[in-house]
Amino acid sequence: MTVEDQVRDIVAKITRVDKSIITRQSTFKEIKADSLDVVQALVAVEETFGIEIPDEEAQKFQNFGDFVSYVESRVAQEEKV
Amino acid sequence: MSLQGKLALVTGSGRGIGRAIALKLASQGINIVVNYFRHRESAEQTAKDIESLGVKAEVVRANVGDPEKIDGMFDMIGNKFGCLDILINNAASGVGRPAVDIDVKAWEWTMDINARALLLCAQRAAKLMEGRGGKIVSISSLGSRFVLPNYTIVGVSKAALEALTRYLAIELAPQSICVNTVVASAVETEALKFYFKEGLVKDSNQLTPAGRMVVPEDVANVVAFLCSEEAFMIRGQTIIVDGGTSVGLFALAGK
Repeated sequence: MTVEDQVRDIVAKITRVDKSIITRQSTFKEIKADSLDVVQALVAVEETFGIEIPDEEAQKFQNFGDFVSYVESRVAQEEKV
Repeated sequence: MSLQGKLALVTGSGRGIGRAIALKLASQGINIVVNYFRHRESAEQTAKDIESLGVKAEVVRANVGDPEKIDGMFDMIGNKFGCLDILINNAASGVGRPAVDIDVKAWEWTMDINARALLLCAQRAAKLMEGRGGKIVSISSLGSRFVLPNYTIVGVSKAALEALTRYLAIELAPQSICVNTVVASAVETEALKFYFKEGLVKDSNQLTPAGRMVVPEDVANVVAFLCSEEAFMIRGQTIIVDGGTSVGLFALAGK
């Protein structure tokens, strides 16, 4: 399962939307994620991948794709260490 | 008795009121454990500012809504310092919604962080205060007793926090642990911008008999007093810092 698939599963579960509608272009607003959903998704992703995503970084995410790209780069960094 | 060299844990001290409290206590020679959850950079900045005051700062990440994370934080404090003198239960979160739109997820999230965290942190802190006494001070808001728009869950969680303050104060009194809460009206912080529109700041200035909004340092000053030995006989109280807002509403309405 790719990082993207895992992040999509987490976001879909928290926002209770069908994961097939979440594309890399989807904004949090489009998938009806409120601020609590976003925080809970961040926390769940952090715990799944053993990384930390500070709000300073999370605030830069324009869409699901940005979120996934950030997680992918952090996971790759962790693997190098 | 000097506070020099004592150790305080301030939850949610990267920003806002928590940061002001951490800096105020640090200015009195108290070493600070800076807890944060979402804003690492802010927490690291607070720690730097604390160290520039000549005391030690330790940064620890923990979501105080998660019992395991609370345990991890206190395990770290126990292992590294072996004791704790002051717990400032400041971290808060919440979802701004009318009562009819609150779901179980939003309720539990808010209650866990704002109310249950005091219970779990106080239980662990009391053990680290054994034989030395201590101070536990929480931060509440006027929403615990007055209705603010879309503030339902946070207001209810703060009411629970204030009630728990009284129970803890009596239960921990024989151990010389003083437990109190400081209740603030709208304070100029980023959290305020999150919950309310800008109009509130303007309204608050007009509604405050003292003539200006409460700032984080106003709250920090009272917290620091409650942490001093001069406040030893204050137990289980909720001290309101609001520039007179809560008692002056009717007087202002007549103007």
